[in-house]
Amino acid sequence: MRRVVSGSFALPTSDAMIGIGLALACALVPLVTPSAYALSFLFTVFMYGALAGSWNIIGGYAGYLSFGHAAFFGLGAYTTALLLFYFGWSPFLTMPLAGAVAALFAALVGYPCLRLRGPYFSLVTLILGLAMYALVLNLPFTQGSTGLFLPFLKVDVYTSHVIFYEVMLALLVVVTAILRQITRTKMGVGLAAIREDEDAAGTLGVDATRLKLQAFMLSAFLTGLVGGVYSYYKSYLDPSFVFATSISITIVLMALFGGRLTWYGPLVGAMTLSVVNEVLTTQAPPQTARIVFGALLIGVIMFLPDGLMSIVQRHFRHS
Amino acid sequence: MFYELAQSLTSGLLIGSALAVLSVGFSMAWGITHVLNVAHCAFAVLAAYLGYWSLSLWGIDPLLALPAMLPLFFVLGVAMHRLLIRTTARRAHDLGLATMVLTFGLGVVMENGMQLAWTPDPRVLKTAYSSLAFSIGPLIVQAPHLVAFGLATATIGALYLFAERTFMGKAVRAVWQQPMGAALSGIDLDRVTTIAYGLAVATSAVGGVAMSLLYTFDPATHLSWLVYVFLVVILGGVGSILGSALAGLIIGLIIGVSSVFVPLAWNNLVLFGLLILLLLLRPQGLLQR
Repeated sequence: MRRVVSGSFALPTSDAMIGIGLALACALVPLVTPSAYALSFLFTVFMYGALAGSWNIIGGYAGYLSFGHAAFFGLGAYTTALLLFYFGWSPFLTMPLAGAVAALFAALVGYPCLRLRGPYFSLVTLILGLAMYALVLNLPFTQGSTGLFLPFLKVDVYTSHVIFYEVMLALLVVVTAILRQITRTKMGVGLAAIREDEDAAGTLGVDATRLKLQAFMLSAFLTGLVGGVYSYYKSYLDPSFVFATSISITIVLMALFGGRLTWYGPLVGAMTLSVVNEVLTTQAPPQTARIVFGALLIGVIMFLPDGLMSIVQRHFRHS
Repeated sequence: MFYELAQSLTSGLLIGSALAVLSVGFSMAWGITHVLNVAHCAFAVLAAYLGYWSLSLWGIDPLLALPAMLPLFFVLGVAMHRLLIRTTARRAHDLGLATMVLTFGLGVVMENGMQLAWTPDPRVLKTAYSSLAFSIGPLIVQAPHLVAFGLATATIGALYLFAERTFMGKAVRAVWQQPMGAALSGIDLDRVTTIAYGLAVATSAVGGVAMSLLYTFDPATHLSWLVYVFLVVILGGVGSILGSALAGLIIGLIIGVSSVFVPLAWNNLVLFGLLILLLLLRPQGLLQR
């Protein structure tokens, strides 16, 4: 079994200190009053970091590549948006509910779906994502493809940018801490065993069914939380965006790009690709940006199947 | 009501034949090489656009352009196998997953490339026979449907004869059933899988042209066609030519029936639900033993 708990050995043991330092530095950034553009760009980076990290629990650690995480993101977004829209409850309070709805859905579909392996699991999650979108468009209380218009925060625009920035940063820290903690627990070892050889893991007493379901639900919960904040941030819930297959794909791509076997890989992938994406979309038509994205995906899977971070790891091992 | 049902069953059956030819190559490639080519329908949409071009630029019917497209798509398939899939296969721990991600990337590149070339606007193919229709008894059959059916029957028939009657076809089947045994009896695995791959992509061109006769298309259409292909392949069993043909017809009939009884907006949901159920209950295919 290779790299069972690679995350904890790859970097110096001070990795946690570096992480906390970085998070604190990021939290203090609004003090220097950066532009609203910079804040919203960093919000996107944090969001994708949190999403790729959440995905990595089931997709990276357990090796079950979900191509339908947009379903959880969208469910979370709809939960808080509907509660705000109909009852006026603040998404910052109802966020845990968004996660719970996503986790509940994950439990319902995960129980049958997680019996499928390899590409079959990826296929069924992909279709689930598409089905959720089709379902939401047809429900009576979601206003179909029009989406939901939500009230703004009752502060000025810049302050609200700062608030959302800090909230998303906090979510990112929570996700990353959970992701790192998993690699140091029995759960992490169990998931790695499932990834490397599920049948062998079963014979060694790993309760694969239970572990996979837990990982799937945890992953969905965190994704739902992020979705719950997102719709409030945009103050408009666009069903074609929150359930878009492109979100599912972007998350997978980021985690694979950075390296799905480590806790910091998805984060690095999300940061790198967000910057690439931002540069490309401001310089070229969106199609060109997506072509480069697809080409990157091809390149990574062909030449670096363990992601960008595998280079760094190799370097640390040899030194 | 009965008449309406009979009418939509007829057109469903003809649509189903187009779905079958769209799926048969995907099924073959998955069966032989264990590669899920998620970009399969992107190739099909590319063929649809090339047919559209030949009609609108030179006035040549897509059916006449198809013989020129087939070798081109065969070469594309061979190139894809040689350049992309073999390299990935050498390093991947899990071939099925790795190639799925790989071809997903390829699909994204092709879809957006086509958007740059032809804009994201939907296209309609207006051939000389688009508005022709025949009546068979009380039923009306549209000419494009019949043409698509003819294309599908000819292609699947040829593919079946190739697999059953020719030496290369038998080699392909041998590799599908037992790669190690095939290699031991002197079959060049690499050459056979490459040829099978070229054929798979070539049939996607036929499928694309057949579908473009029936539906409007745009670069993003390949994802919704892919859902049909998954349904057909999972129902018919991975790698089976006749299974794909039969499953295509069944799916066509289901589409026909649900267009009568289910409101239009819920049609896709019926298909998604069916596919999810099928994947959960019998991922090896309903029509397989």
